[in-house]
Amino acid sequence: MQTAPPACDEMVDRNGRIRAPWSPIMAAARELGPEELNRRALALNRQASLAVSSGNLAQRLYDPLPLLLTAPEFSFLEAAVRQRATLLSRVLEDLYGPQTLLRSGAIPPALVLGEPHFLRPLHTQTPLSTPRLALFAADIVRGPDGIFSLLHSHTGIIPGLGHALSLRRQASSNLPELLRAGGIRSLRPARELLTDHVRRQAAGGLVAVLSGGAGTAAEADLVDDALLARALGVLLIEPGDLATRNGALHMKTLSGLLNIATLIRGVSGIDLDPLEQGGRPGTGIAGAFGAIRAGVLAMLNAPGTNLAAAPVLRPYIDNLFLPLLNEPALLPPAAADSLAQASNAPFIAPGGQTPAPVCFRLFAWHDGETWQVLPGGLGVPLPGQDSGSLGLKDLWVLEEQDEPSHTAGAAPAEPREHVNFLSATHLPSRLADNLFWLGRSVERLEAACRLLILTRPRLESGTSLPRDMAERALLTKCLAQAGLLPAELSGATVSGRLLRETLHRRRPVAGLLKEVGRLVNASAERLSPTMLATVRFALQQAIDSLPNEDTSLPTMLSFAATFAGIAAENMVRDGGWLFLEMGRRLERGETLAESLAILLDAPPERLQPGLALGLELADSVLSYDLRYAGVLAPGPVFALLLADSGNPRALSYQCAALRACLERLGADDDAEAARQLQLDVANLAGTVTGLRPALSAAAAKLRLLSDRVHRRFFTLLPEAHTLDDGEILEAAQ
Amino acid sequence: MTLYRLHHSTIYDYAEPVVLGTHYMHLLPRERPGQMVREAHLEISPAPETRRDEVDYFGNPTTTVSLAGAHKQFAVNLSATVEVNQPAPPPAEETLRWEAIAAKGLHEPDVAEYCLPSPLAAPQNEIADYAAVSFLPGRPMLAALLELTQRIYNEMTYKPGVTNNCTTAAHILTTRTGVCQDYAHFMIACLRALGLPGRYVSGYLRTTPPPGQERRRGADQSHAWVSSWLGPEAGWVDLDPTNNLLVADEHVTLAWGRDFADVSPLRGIILGGGRHWLKVGVDLEPVLT
Repeated sequence: MQTAPPACDEMVDRNGRIRAPWSPIMAAARELGPEELNRRALALNRQASLAVSSGNLAQRLYDPLPLLLTAPEFSFLEAAVRQRATLLSRVLEDLYGPQTLLRSGAIPPALVLGEPHFLRPLHTQTPLSTPRLALFAADIVRGPDGIFSLLHSHTGIIPGLGHALSLRRQASSNLPELLRAGGIRSLRPARELLTDHVRRQAAGGLVAVLSGGAGTAAEADLVDDALLARALGVLLIEPGDLATRNGALHMKTLSGLLNIATLIRGVSGIDLDPLEQGGRPGTGIAGAFGAIRAGVLAMLNAPGTNLAAAPVLRPYIDNLFLPLLNEPALLPPAAADSLAQASNAPFIAPGGQTPAPVCFRLFAWHDGETWQVLPGGLGVPLPGQDSGSLGLKDLWVLEEQDEPSHTAGAAPAEPREHVNFLSATHLPSRLADNLFWLGRSVERLEAACRLLILTRPRLESGTSLPRDMAERALLTKCLAQAGLLPAELSGATVSGRLLRETLHRRRPVAGLLKEVGRLVNASAERLSPTMLATVRFALQQAIDSLPNEDTSLPTMLSFAATFAGIAAENMVRDGGWLFLEMGRRLERGETLAESLAILLDAPPERLQPGLALGLELADSVLSYDLRYAGVLAPGPVFALLLADSGNPRALSYQCAALRACLERLGADDDAEAARQLQLDVANLAGTVTGLRPALSAAAAKLRLLSDRVHRRFFTLLPEAHTLDDGEILEAAQ
Repeated sequence: MTLYRLHHSTIYDYAEPVVLGTHYMHLLPRERPGQMVREAHLEISPAPETRRDEVDYFGNPTTTVSLAGAHKQFAVNLSATVEVNQPAPPPAEETLRWEAIAAKGLHEPDVAEYCLPSPLAAPQNEIADYAAVSFLPGRPMLAALLELTQRIYNEMTYKPGVTNNCTTAAHILTTRTGVCQDYAHFMIACLRALGLPGRYVSGYLRTTPPPGQERRRGADQSHAWVSSWLGPEAGWVDLDPTNNLLVADEHVTLAWGRDFADVSPLRGIILGGGRHWLKVGVDLEPVLT
C-alpha cells in the first residue's frame, strides 16, 4: 500500500501515538485491564480446545487482540490476492495439462518434474471438471516503508480457513467489549456465499471436510478442519470413513455407502491414493485420483496443487504476471530479510502485552466465475523467539469511514435451510462405533465401582460369621467374573489386605477410566461443546481422585452419573445417542445377568445374602424397602431386579430400552430378539430353581445381540488390503 | 517385421469372498515407434461394475475397474496382436558423445523426466563410479551403452526370489543379484548418475527363441528392460541387460515409466478376500515373420 505512512508497528505510529483505527480497541482493552484480558484470552482458547480430540492444546491458539486493515488497504490487498490466485490457477492448469510453460522454458522442466508435489496421476489431457485451485490463502507482510509484500502462497491445504471463519464468533462472546467498537466488515455474507458455492457445486451430493484424523496431524490442524466443517455445515470425515464403489467415493454410514461429491482436502495429496501411488490402503483413499479425473469427485483443492507454492518455482512464477496476465504484479514478493523487517502487532502473551512481528493471512475461493476474497482472515505471528506462546488473531477489515458503521458480532439470524446431512443413518460408522463403546465403557466403569464399594467394607471388617463368609465368597466371585480380580482368588479366604493389594497392583479402575477418556476424545465431534466440557471436567476429577482410595470410588460414580445425566438431557434422541444408549444397556444387562447368576445361585434357604447383595448392587435397596418394608424374600426381589420394567436397573428394563433403540434404527429382527429376551427374563421372576443357567443364558444372548449390532452397523465392510503385483513377478519366476 | 500374438492371463483365487475390489492396471500394450498394436482386448471377470480406460502421464494405456458383487476369483486376460518393426539404431560409433546428451536431457520436457532420480532407480556416488568405467570422456553414447549392458549382464547373477518390487538400485549395487526388474533399475540408476535419461520399459520377450538360439531369461513372464536416449534425432534405443541384447524384434513393449512403480501391471485394493493365490500365464508367439 504505497500511500500508507512508513510503519514498523501496526498499532503505534512513528511518533508513538496510537493509530486512529486502533484507539477504540485499545481503549476497550485498557478498560478491561491486563489481568482480565489474559483471563479472556484463556477463556477464548478453552473454547477452542473443546474442538480438539485430546481436549488439550499444547500452545495458545488465539490472541484476543485483533489485527486491522483499513478499507483502502483491504481493497488493494483484495485485488492483489485475486491477481495472484488467478496466476497460480493458470500455472497449475498448464503444468497439469499442456505444459507450455515447460516447453517454452519459462519454468525449467527439471524443477517441476523433480518436485514431490508434482503428482503425475493428476496430469490430464483435458481440464478437470472443476478448477484445480479452488481455495487460496496468501501470507502478506508490511515492511518498514509501509509497503505490503507476499511472504507465502498456500495452494494445497489451506491452513487456518476454519479458524478464520469461526474466530469472530467465538471472540464476540468472549470479548464483546472489543467488538463493540464496531465498524468491521461482517464475514457472514462471504461465509454464506462460500457455503452456497460448495453446495451448488456438489449438486445435492454430500460435501465433507477430509481430515487426517487423530494421531496423523498436528492438533491445531484438526481443530481447523473441525471448525471449517462446522462453519460450512458439512461433514467431517477421515480417509478410513471412505470406500470406492462404482468408481466413485462413498462414505461408510449406518445406512450403507453414501456418495461423496465434494471433499475439502485437509490431508496431503502425496500418498493420497494407494491404488495409483502405492502405500498402505488404511491411510489413503483408494481410487480417489480416478474419481477426480472422471469428474465424479471434486476436491478443494485438487491433489498436487501445492506444487504452485513450491519455493523452487517461486522466482519463475513471479516473472509470469506480464506474460500470462498482461499486467505487473500488484504485490511484490517479500525480500529475503522481510521476516526480520515485518511490522509488529500487540499480542497478549502470558507475561502481558508484547509487540511481535505478524503477517496478514487472506483467504480466497473461486466461485466458478471469479475469485472472492474473504473480508477478514487471520493475523499470524511470524516465527520468532516466543512465537510459540502467541496466538492467531482475528483480522478485521474496517468499513469505509463514510459508511454507516455496524457491529459485526454474531447478531441473531434465522439459520438457513440446509440439507440435513446428519440424520441418524448418515452417521459415519466409525462414530457410531465409538459412541457404542463409550456407552459400554462408562457403564463398565460404573458397575466396577459399585461392586468395589460393596466389597471393600465387607472384606476389611469381615467376621467369621457364616453370613459374612458367604457374602465374601459371593463378592469375590463377582469381582473375578468382572475381571477385577484374578479367577484364582475367588474364594472366601481372601483377606481385605490381599484384595486391596491386588487391586492396588492391577489398578483396574484406572484402566477403565483411561478407556473412557480415549472414547470421549474419539467421539468428541458428536458431543456438544457444553456436554464435552462438563464430561471432561468430571473425567478429570475422577482421574485426579484415583490416588485417594476413600474418595475415588464415589468420585467415579459421580462421573458416571454426570455422564448419564448429560447424555439424557443434552443429546437428541437419534443417531449418536441411540448407539451410546445401546452400548450402555447391553453392558448393564450383561453385567447384571452375570452378577445375579452368581448371587442367586443357592437353594432358597441360603439365598438371603445373595438377595441382599443383588439389591445393593442394583441400587434398588430403597425401592425394595419402600415396597416390601425390608423383608427379604426371593419372589419380590426377583420381580424388582428381573421383571420390573419401571426399574432402570432391572434386567427387563435394559431389554426394553434396547428394543426401542433397535426399532428406531430399523433393525427389526434384532428388536424382536430383544423383545423375546425381555419376555424370557420377566418370566424368570416366577421361577426359583435353575436361575443360574437361565441368567447365564440371558447374558449370552445379550453378548450375541452386541455382536449382531456390531456386524450390522460397524463392520459394514471388511478391512481393505492391497493386492500387489510384485507377486506377479514372483509367481512367474 | 514380426507379427506377434500375445496372451497374458492373471488369475487371483481368494479364500473368502471379496466384497469390493478396485484394480488399476497397465495391461494393454502401448504404441511406439517400431511397434503397432493391431488389436488388443482386456477381458475381465467377473464383469466389472465400472471400467475406465485412460492414458497415463507417460502415455501408457491404463484400465481401472470396480468390482462390486462378492466374488472368489478375479481374472484378467489380455490378448493382442502386435506388429514389431524396430528400426535399427545408428552405428554405435556415430552416435553423439554421451556428454552432449547429458547436457541436453534436462532441458527437454519429455526427456528430463527420465534424467531425475525415482524411488527405485535413484543414483548415488558408487553407482556413478560403476557407470563411469564405461562412460569414458568423449565416448559415443551407444558404444558406452552397449558396454554398460554387457558389464551388468556379466557382473550380475540372475536369481529369482531374492528381490521384490520394492528393491532399489542402491540395494542391487551391493548384492548384484536379482531379476530383470533389478537389472533394469540398476542400469537406469547408472545412466541417471551421469545425468543421462534412463527409462524403465515393461513388456514381453518371445516365448520360443528364433531358430538356433538359446532360450532367453524372462521369456514366459512379464519382462523389463531399459530405454535410453541417443539425442533429438536418433531418439530412444532399448537395451536388455538381463539378456545382453540390443532390443530388436524379440520384445513387445507394454508400458514405460521412470521405474517399475509407474507401470506395475496390476494393483488392487480389495475388501475381504482372506488368503489369495495367484496364477500368471504369458505367451508371445510370432504368427508371421
